[in-house]
Amino acid sequence: MYDLQKIQHLSWRAGFGLSIREYQKLSNVPLQRAVDGLFKSAKNPAELPIPEFGFRSREERKSMSDEVRMERKKMGKAHVFELNTDWIERMANEQSSPLLEKMTLFWHGHFACELKLPHFAVQHINTLRQHAVGNFRDLVIAIAKDPSMLSYLDNRKNKKEHPNENFARELMELFTIGRGNYTEEDVKAAARAFTGWGASLSGEFIFKSRQHDYGQKTFMGKTGNFDGTDIIDIILEKRETAQFIATKVYRFFVNDKINAQHINELADVFYASNYNIEAMMRALFESDWFYDVKNMGVKIKSPVVLLAGLMRTLDLRFEDRKPMIVLQKALGQILFNPPNVAGWPGGKTWIDNATLMLRLNLTSILFESKEVNFNIKAEPERERFKKLSRIKVYADIEPIVSRFRSMDEQEIVEKISTYLLQTPHEIDTTILDKVVDKSTKESFITSLMMRLMSMPEYQMC
Amino acid sequence: MDKSRRKFLQHSALASTSLFIPQFLSGFNLGLDKADVNSRRKLVIVQLSGGNDGLNTVVPFRNDIYYGSRPTLAIPENEVIKLNDEIGLNGVMAPMKSIFDDGNLCIINNVGYPNPDRSHFRSMDIWQTASDSNEFLSSGWLGRYLDNYCMDCEVHYAMEMDDSLSLALKGRQKSGFAASNVNKLHRSTKSRFLQAVSKHHHDHEHSENVAYLYQTMRQTFSSANYLHEQSKIYQSRQTYPSNKFGKALKQTAELIISGSDTRIYYTALSGFDTHTRQKNTQDRLLENLAQGLTALTEDLKTNNQLDDTLVMVFSEFGRRVKENASGGTDHGTANNVFLMGGKLNKAGIYNGGANLSSLDEGDLIYEVDFRRIYATILDKWLGADNAEVLNKQFQLMDFV
Repeated sequence: MYDLQKIQHLSWRAGFGLSIREYQKLSNVPLQRAVDGLFKSAKNPAELPIPEFGFRSREERKSMSDEVRMERKKMGKAHVFELNTDWIERMANEQSSPLLEKMTLFWHGHFACELKLPHFAVQHINTLRQHAVGNFRDLVIAIAKDPSMLSYLDNRKNKKEHPNENFARELMELFTIGRGNYTEEDVKAAARAFTGWGASLSGEFIFKSRQHDYGQKTFMGKTGNFDGTDIIDIILEKRETAQFIATKVYRFFVNDKINAQHINELADVFYASNYNIEAMMRALFESDWFYDVKNMGVKIKSPVVLLAGLMRTLDLRFEDRKPMIVLQKALGQILFNPPNVAGWPGGKTWIDNATLMLRLNLTSILFESKEVNFNIKAEPERERFKKLSRIKVYADIEPIVSRFRSMDEQEIVEKISTYLLQTPHEIDTTILDKVVDKSTKESFITSLMMRLMSMPEYQMC
Repeated sequence: MDKSRRKFLQHSALASTSLFIPQFLSGFNLGLDKADVNSRRKLVIVQLSGGNDGLNTVVPFRNDIYYGSRPTLAIPENEVIKLNDEIGLNGVMAPMKSIFDDGNLCIINNVGYPNPDRSHFRSMDIWQTASDSNEFLSSGWLGRYLDNYCMDCEVHYAMEMDDSLSLALKGRQKSGFAASNVNKLHRSTKSRFLQAVSKHHHDHEHSENVAYLYQTMRQTFSSANYLHEQSKIYQSRQTYPSNKFGKALKQTAELIISGSDTRIYYTALSGFDTHTRQKNTQDRLLENLAQGLTALTEDLKTNNQLDDTLVMVFSEFGRRVKENASGGTDHGTANNVFLMGGKLNKAGIYNGGANLSSLDEGDLIYEVDFRRIYATILDKWLGADNAEVLNKQFQLMDFV
């Protein structure tokens, strides 16, 4: 196997595939250098600018009329949609770090949180980016102090007199150690330790000492006057936490079907390195088994990966960005809006008859102005539906055409299908002959690509 | 090597048998007769999205607390369609009176669940997945019914009359089928290329997920064909509302009467989130609902299908007892559920009216866990064991 095939596999799992320029550039690069490049670009990310949206004072918030409140809500929503499409465009952009964006997407699904306010949404995503390949302990603590998470899981209401267990429970069940490794007593003790953790109007973490429970707590067999950070440290002392995160990483980056031995390898590295995320991810991308044929092209692309990948491959931009949101809704994954705190279940759950037909028809919709006629379910506050109809896009496939045009048809089919499809496939040329436009080389290449991207195999990475 | 093909990678054999599995088999373990009865039974779910105000749907017209809490929104007694001495329907629902009088409507009040969640999305997920309020499931209750009892059924066995599929119909293994319009769906599968790809026999073995995509694709094409043919058999002359909801109910009736293999039908009416100017909006929607349900009932009755059909109407929550300052109501908790059909065991008002004298911070306190209704439908109507679908056993009710 040439390194290019491995690099292509790596690029889909650690990113969003390769543009034809990158494909060309990486064709003579050893795998290890490609891996090193990914990590180099993912470190020390620039902070995304935080938009002005907050209140200057509590009075300002209280004195707002219902109309202004509604108007503000609408503006916030529109702004979050902008942030959403900005992010998809970053994923598609050759200049940004694919691994950074992919890891951030992973952590967004892991620390799943609905992000409704634009300034808090950016703050939250900045936190995920900052620690994306950093240290997991730092990440968990930062998330526990994040204003969006504090409000999403009700920790703002977690007070000494009335402990609220929501955050403490999800911290263990979904964010760190997983079910079966803690008791209901542990949940109660952890909730007490996080009492008084809140955020200011501007999103800074504040510790309200009057609301904090300074009493003795017994948590996972230890007794002391624990606060939230102590609880996180005790959870991370357990190897089960490394195992839980490694399993989730394996499912997301490698295969829906777990392999206990490979997961153990990852968990060992993660635990021994004191939860260094880069160390674990390097162990993954540098392992032999990651490049095993059994792990190639076996993951169903999530809607966001499908969309960003398509944009990256075809250098595609939407004239109006609203359809990028509507497509996410129709396909079942909206950034900043995971279905619940457990995140997107992924795998086969992306697929039903409706989403599959939309996926298979997507290139026809985008490039042949095929009418979509797809109604999105109404939001609760609305009666009407958004309709996905014609979508206008710009794509530049000239670089692809010029790369392959000198070849004969047979070679073009072979080379382009290898570039576009990550899974074993066979092309029935009797079918292709009927649907491919052979009038010029350019039309041949273009129509061939559209067909290949309509195959179920294109849904895989 | 076959000249017409070029093969690029290793191939082996793929057996694509998914389409040739025998059709519908239901009511396993129940003996043939019962299975036969169950196999004729249809379930129609109508979801009212946005949180329908139950107190202005089923009106407690003798209740002073009701009138005191809603100085502008309460429905005056003379506009209520009285069902008994205390409870009546909102006047815009007048056509449903005859369904009630015929014993084909059962109203269960105070339906909800412990620790109610007032977020639309969360509460709808709870209703659709039948989870506890602190539990997150990624499969729906009807989807899990398919998982447990219908792995070999055609995919259109459970259908949502919409372009996308709700969580309720997504199982762990098997899911329902979404189609707002079976003819439109049929046209969308007409791509010559996709048809050819779907028929193409692959010599190599696919990974499980690729095989799943091909299987879903073939099933979609085959069901689209089947439903398209079925839709030609019976065309309803009843008057349904001319909107999306009306069309969905009409398609439901037509498929049932045509004898389609589809047994579960799911449809939604949206817009019930009436924080402001509730009266106009809710009246219009309830009028739509009543018109649609009446046309459906008439259609099924005329064609001898009402006895084999059970309809359930629900919303993710009710609304607060007190009206707000904008002529609307805010998110509440317990609500009523309608059950309709020709073979109800207990018709009428199932459990008395809403209890307005004992509230929890201004909200109704639930009396019937909605999962008891699901359990009853699963056990007594679909011949299933509710514990397998709902993950625990719920006490059954008497409406069927």
